[in-house]
Amino acid sequence: MFKASVVAIVVAIAVPSVAAAQAAKKAPAKKGTANRPSTADIAALNGQQVEAAAKAAETIGESSAPAAHDVLLDALAMGLPASVAVPAIVGLAKHPAPPDVLALVRYANHINPSVRNAAITALAQYPDPAAHTVVVERLGDQVAVVRATAAAAAAKGKIKKAVDPLFVLLSRGEEPAARALAAMADVELAARIADQLGKVPAESLALCLGAILVRPDFGPDTARVEVVRAIGKIEDRSAVTALQDYLANSPKTPVRTSRTEAQMIVDARLGGGAK
Amino acid sequence: MIRLALVAAIVLAACGPNAVFRLSSDENNAYALNEALGKRRLPAQPTPVSAAGPRAYVLAAGSISSQAKTIVAFDLASQQVVWKTDADVQSRIAVGGDFIVEIEGGQIVARDQSRGAPRWKVQLDGAFVGLAADRERAYVVTKDGSDYRLTGYSGGDGNQLWQSAAAGQLGAPAAHGGVVYVPFLSQWLSIVDGASGEQLTRVRGIDEQISTLRVTSTVAYYGSTKGVFRLDERSASGKRSDATYGKVEIPPQLERTTYSRDAYDVVQQAYTAADRARVLWSSDPSTSGPMKLTGDGYAIHYFRYVLGFDLAGELRWAYSNPRVELVASDHTGSVIVAIAANGDVVALDPQTGGVRSKGSLGIGAQVLGATFDADGWSPSSPGEKIETAAALVSIARDRDSRFERVKELAVDALAKLPGAEVTAELLKILEDDRAKVQLKDTVAELLVKRRDPAGLPVLVEQLAVHDNVIAKTETQALGPIAKAIGGLAGTGLKKDGIATALTALDSHLEAPSTATADLVHVVAAMASLGADADGADKPALISHLLLYHADDDRGGDAAWQKAIIGGLLVKATSASREALRYVAADPRTIASLATAINETIGAD
Repeated sequence: MFKASVVAIVVAIAVPSVAAAQAAKKAPAKKGTANRPSTADIAALNGQQVEAAAKAAETIGESSAPAAHDVLLDALAMGLPASVAVPAIVGLAKHPAPPDVLALVRYANHINPSVRNAAITALAQYPDPAAHTVVVERLGDQVAVVRATAAAAAAKGKIKKAVDPLFVLLSRGEEPAARALAAMADVELAARIADQLGKVPAESLALCLGAILVRPDFGPDTARVEVVRAIGKIEDRSAVTALQDYLANSPKTPVRTSRTEAQMIVDARLGGGAK
Repeated sequence: MIRLALVAAIVLAACGPNAVFRLSSDENNAYALNEALGKRRLPAQPTPVSAAGPRAYVLAAGSISSQAKTIVAFDLASQQVVWKTDADVQSRIAVGGDFIVEIEGGQIVARDQSRGAPRWKVQLDGAFVGLAADRERAYVVTKDGSDYRLTGYSGGDGNQLWQSAAAGQLGAPAAHGGVVYVPFLSQWLSIVDGASGEQLTRVRGIDEQISTLRVTSTVAYYGSTKGVFRLDERSASGKRSDATYGKVEIPPQLERTTYSRDAYDVVQQAYTAADRARVLWSSDPSTSGPMKLTGDGYAIHYFRYVLGFDLAGELRWAYSNPRVELVASDHTGSVIVAIAANGDVVALDPQTGGVRSKGSLGIGAQVLGATFDADGWSPSSPGEKIETAAALVSIARDRDSRFERVKELAVDALAKLPGAEVTAELLKILEDDRAKVQLKDTVAELLVKRRDPAGLPVLVEQLAVHDNVIAKTETQALGPIAKAIGGLAGTGLKKDGIATALTALDSHLEAPSTATADLVHVVAAMASLGADADGADKPALISHLLLYHADDDRGGDAAWQKAIIGGLLVKATSASREALRYVAADPRTIASLATAINETIGAD
């Protein structure tokens, strides 16, 4: 009785329409009843033994049954120890449903960084703008590992609102931001990144542009050529490393202009005694 | 001329001084006192001693090469330097009718007021104790071992007119209208005829020492560090209760403040830092009751600042002198005049603190001290309106670390002023990295005490700042601000204001970087404001409790436990009680939290 009312309260503080949220929460239950969680697992999840509860959360999370999803959602709503919350969040996000966002947002601001990381990673896969907002907010987290997680989550969710904050982090030499931008880059974003020469640490810029080059889905080759030329303007040794990585991790055939230019730059740098 | 004076001095010395100051003598004699007071030739209205008009005689430091000091005569009315002359002055400057007198190199030196040239010089006949002057004469107290003497000199030629000996310690004298006042053995104020050196009468302080003197053109004040008597017929009682006695509230933060210099401290007979911490007042005649301060108020000059107070000791106004300290000040009866170390001269309205006059010596040398002969001076300007709040802010944010206690006084006064802008200024002090922790603590307490509902939007606005690495922002003073917001509960806040505040507080309740020390205030504020709002189920606090009830870090924190339990029990609804009972019964709940809930609910 109380549990239900508390779930309602917890939902109510996060969304303007309790009814709508509760209706959405019920949605997964209509899909089927296969692989229901066992009573023992539910009891363990809500029990005093933390290890057993964490294991139960993992087990329940593996289940695709809507009831299993509900069990995890309820448990998270009522509050879990950090070591149980993490597997519960991971399990919840394996079968995402719209009402999950409300619970995950709470945990994305948890004082325990591990819990925040789990929630942020989970939120990235929800299309809900509220989920994306939280991911972007956590890019400014005081804990570096949480920022790194948020950067990776932003990349995974292709969250456009994260681009500008990621550029800020790139300017401060944060590698996860470089990798996130590289993962998100299309031709236009790659050009914007290339324009950062002199504005961000050379090593970070080379890392970011190099990571774009090795992406098999990035192209066409004319775009890759522009990236290679941008890397060529970086005087730091990391530029050569980035181009070498590209040469090592891209097919030699068919011949790509970008590879040819990359090779020329590497030869010139190494052969000419340059950095 | 000098030779004549010396000869006269030798002759008088050979005869021996007249023993005037004795242990046994008529005292507190109302008739004699009235006679003595009637003997004074005082102007009907306050007026400078000199006919030259209102002036400041300023002592400035000399150049590094010359070492000599410089006397600057400054006309306050025209704001012009009349003359300046180098002189190795070692005392205060006393002002006579057409001369000034001071000590230079073991000599009493009188100078012409029109040009500053020496008029006469007389060798001191002992160690210097203090000097004074009236229109016609100079009076000097000296000592030789334990023998104290008061000597009268003609202001015109330095001729020694008389010498009076004392059977004990004399303090520095003061004079006006042909009468000299001399503190004797900390117990008596001797009133001496300036023409003859004879004691006219004396007043004995029955319940207070007599160690300070302040004399204007029309009034004499005497007293101690505790308070002052206005010399009148009622002084014959010797008692505070029956005399015209005044004592003002000196804030403890201005602890160095005195009513006047200590007449028994020889050091203070030169210009010292003690001149920078003074009560400034004037009084009206009265025939009964305590001393009646003009305008029902007084001011305190405290280094860079001048603060005006009412009779209850509440701050009326504040003036903060730009950059440098005020080294000397005086109350002319119409204005408070002060001079800064850089030579700036300012006159303030005693009622409002408004700047009635501003000028500068323009000498480029450091001012060491000054004597004002400006009684009754009243600049024609009505005065610039003073912004007390701005002055208090200036004091509070002063970088000079010597005045931390004054800053506390300033923020205390500032917090009593209404308005959101005042709240904003107090918050800026909390944000100031260079402000001392103690001052911030004071500001935080004042914000809480302030309870000004007009300040809520400013406080809430401050909560918009969160810790964010990208924005390079850090939450500032969250605990005090939350406490201040919580303190506004019950002050008639509007519902939309409460809602905005609760949202802002909630953002910090849920922020991962909020420390428990601040969080407890956030929780308390949300509970207080939530109780003010309709339908106070406190869902955010219930959610917060559930989120952390099984968490080792936060859930196990005793301060957090106390805050969240207490918060939910403020005008507790059934939902709050149900949540607490549920958590207490949940096997996952941190044991100490469950215990705390059970103990609290049991006692509730």
